[in-house]
Amino acid sequence: MFEKWRFWATPSELKAAGVLGMNRRNFEIIAQHNKRRLYPLVDNKVLTKQLARQVGIQTPNLIGVIESQHQVRQFLSLVKGHKDFVIKPAQGSGGKGVLVIKSYTQNHFRTASQRVLRFSEVYQHISNILSGLYSLGGKYDVAVFEELVHFSTMFQDYSFQGIPDVRIIVYQGYPVLAMMRLATRESGGRANLHQGAVGVGIDIQTGKAIAAVQHNRPVRYHPDTGKDLFSLQVPFWREHLEIASKGYDMTHLGYLGADIVLDRELGPMMLELNARPGLAIQIANQSGLQNALRRIDSLPSKSANYIDRVNAVLDRATDKNSDAFILK
Amino acid sequence: MFRKLQSVRLFLLIGLLLSIIYAGYGIYYKIRYWGFSFQPNQMTDVWTVEANISFEPTGDPIRVSISRPINTGSFKILDENIIAPRYQVQKDSKRIILSSSPRQKNQNIYYRVLLYDNVAEKKGIKDDKPHKVDIPLWDEQRKAVAYTILDRSKAQEGDRVQQIIRLLSQTPPDETVLAFMPERKSLKETADVICDLLAFERIPVHIVRGVRLEKDKKAFKSDVMIEAYLDSQWIIYNIETGEKGLPKDFIIFQRGGNSLVDVEGGENSLTRFSVMKSLTSSFNMAEHRAKTAHQEKLFAYSMYSLPLSEQNSLKWLMIFPLAILVVVVMRNMVGLKTMGTFTPMLIAMALVETGFVAGLVCFSIIVIIGLLIRAGLSRLNLLLVPRISAVVIFVILMIQIFTILGYHFHWDIASSALFFPIIIMAWIIERASIIWEEEGLKNAGKEVFFSVVVAVFTYFIIVNDYIRHIMFAFSELNLVLLFIVMLLGTYTGYRLTELIRFAPLSRSRKE
Ligand SMILES: Nc1ncnc2c1ncn2[C@@H]1O[C@H](COP(=O)(O)OP(=O)(O)O)[C@@H](O)[C@H]1O
Ligand SMILES: [Mg+2]
Repeated sequence: MFEKWRFWATPSELKAAGVLGMNRRNFEIIAQHNKRRLYPLVDNKVLTKQLARQVGIQTPNLIGVIESQHQVRQFLSLVKGHKDFVIKPAQGSGGKGVLVIKSYTQNHFRTASQRVLRFSEVYQHISNILSGLYSLGGKYDVAVFEELVHFSTMFQDYSFQGIPDVRIIVYQGYPVLAMMRLATRESGGRANLHQGAVGVGIDIQTGKAIAAVQHNRPVRYHPDTGKDLFSLQVPFWREHLEIASKGYDMTHLGYLGADIVLDRELGPMMLELNARPGLAIQIANQSGLQNALRRIDSLPSKSANYIDRVNAVLDRATDKNSDAFILK
Repeated sequence: MFRKLQSVRLFLLIGLLLSIIYAGYGIYYKIRYWGFSFQPNQMTDVWTVEANISFEPTGDPIRVSISRPINTGSFKILDENIIAPRYQVQKDSKRIILSSSPRQKNQNIYYRVLLYDNVAEKKGIKDDKPHKVDIPLWDEQRKAVAYTILDRSKAQEGDRVQQIIRLLSQTPPDETVLAFMPERKSLKETADVICDLLAFERIPVHIVRGVRLEKDKKAFKSDVMIEAYLDSQWIIYNIETGEKGLPKDFIIFQRGGNSLVDVEGGENSLTRFSVMKSLTSSFNMAEHRAKTAHQEKLFAYSMYSLPLSEQNSLKWLMIFPLAILVVVVMRNMVGLKTMGTFTPMLIAMALVETGFVAGLVCFSIIVIIGLLIRAGLSRLNLLLVPRISAVVIFVILMIQIFTILGYHFHWDIASSALFFPIIIMAWIIERASIIWEEEGLKNAGKEVFFSVVVAVFTYFIIVNDYIRHIMFAFSELNLVLLFIVMLLGTYTGYRLTELIRFAPLSRSRKE
């Protein structure tokens, strides 16, 4: 009876569930698999975009970059010809400083969350980006302007405003765990779990929802739209996995998180890569990372080809025998 | 990779083991030969008074004469020593005389006495018969004023001496008194005036100089009282309140005479006293014990033989490794998210200065007002650097206002503002307001709250007398802490907060 009310787990229970803790992640996974000198590749969005192009990963098109304060005033001429656009700090993280402009006139800018900003406010925002307000360690930064992703209506009711994105954890090139993050009214249209967004665990082989949480608690329906979250099925799943897996070829980070969004016309696109992806994905999946990582560790050989790697992941689901083989 | 982790751990574990052995031996040694103990303030009323005399040589032969404490029976001198390299030392019962051939560089002489409360043999000061009193040689006008004052003082309560003292220290000041002596005067000046006035009454009187024992006093001038011969006995008076009798905590260095320290062959001489209670005193006891155990060499190179002000600072420093350990444990093992790594430690340090409740209230008020101001600033759309700078300036102004208010209205809470590190406060405000904007008030509040929780934890550790004493007396423990901190760096287990955060995962498995 007491068990039912218990709100904590013992270390051994977590261990049995294969939960990866923060200390172990930092010490054993990130420190061992992600070389520090590789971080700049993913910490700078402009650089990430260039690299992604080289390995054939689709990303939102770059409109331009504003690098110094005196260019800020002319930002309108930069976005000329674009109906909508996104401004973000090149070295931002956690969605900080990202401004999604859905429509605008000379002096009015409507954001994804339906706020209307004046020119001076947007000007200020860009200025803040340059002065490093949103960037790691407050370093001077540049403002990246890129095309807006028109997210597939397929996910319309799964998200309250904001664009749902898929986060896939890739370990030594193999996708291991995935989740979709859905914005809610509470999260202010952002897909950040600790702001109250919903995390939906996605089956790595099928792209189907397997669990969903908000604020660490299991949920079944989207709190604002009422949509049944378990009916979620990510289309182009293989393409998602391929993008994620290519992220490894592009950066050689042994442990990374790929953020992928689905554009209505252009299909899955990579928004960014993350060298220190968080651990909340385990909660969304209601399953620990540790086991998945072990499984990859125990592979007899690792493939240098992303297609093989994705196949290895997908095969496991379809063919029990090959599964046994891989797991040997 | 796994093996690498193991070898790092093994290395650190060996280090930890060695440091424990070393610390263990250190503790044994200090207890055995130096008489240190785990108990703070064990010899409660043991005091060290240190006079630091500095002067610039004029080029003439140097002669420094220092008054020695007078044995009133209430305190017993345990030890007395002088740090005056290459001076010739002569002692008599009243003074110590240091002499040297001419020197060039600025001179610093330390005179240190170790005293303890001699409860068992309290006795009065030895009475010596007073000399005949001479009336001061003043012009008629000044004399007339003096007589007026003496007359007026009769309206005050107490004996003659008290009457005069009370009139002089009356607030608001008596008009005649104002004409007689400067409004802002040193204790010495006041004492001189009192002595002169008493001379008109033919009451024998002289100045008494000494040091009032208060814990951890630093760099102050000697304290002054007067002693008058009334009803055929010497009585000591407090020259501000007129209170009679030798205060319990007063060490007399000199009765009558000119000054505690005379310097010949030097100019700009300056004498500063410092007083330290208990701990260091027992360390000074240690010096004797070290000598008798023939272990004084090591003692001489330990921090316990440094001048007191250095010891006081080191004592403060020696507690930090433990505070750092708290922060590391809170972050890496408990998993609390705090603003900045060592911000909580800095808050805790400030709390030690301000007092716990006053400090916390003041901190909260500054942060809250700061956040409101910062919210206003963010409307102005300033750039990052100027905006943080503006917050810094606001914090400074706020601290200024608080300190003034605190002083005038005796609000401890407000006057504690001065002790909070300005940049840290500004940084907390800036960060909290960004989190507020980005992640909502709840997350901002949470982070500030956890920072304060860790600060409070740290506070209770660094303010604890036992812990402070032990970390200072047995400072080799810090080496042990060093290895513990490093070992924690290899801790890969779950954090306490993760046991809650990931609890649903273990449950879903069972179902
Ligand atoms: N091109 C874009 N089109 C639409 N929304 C975008 C675009 N870029 C970013 N966003 C939104 O902003 C969020 C954060 O962007 P991201 O590039 O991941 O920056 P960060 O590194 O700060 O997480 C995304 O999750 C998405 O909701
Ligand atoms: Mg992101």
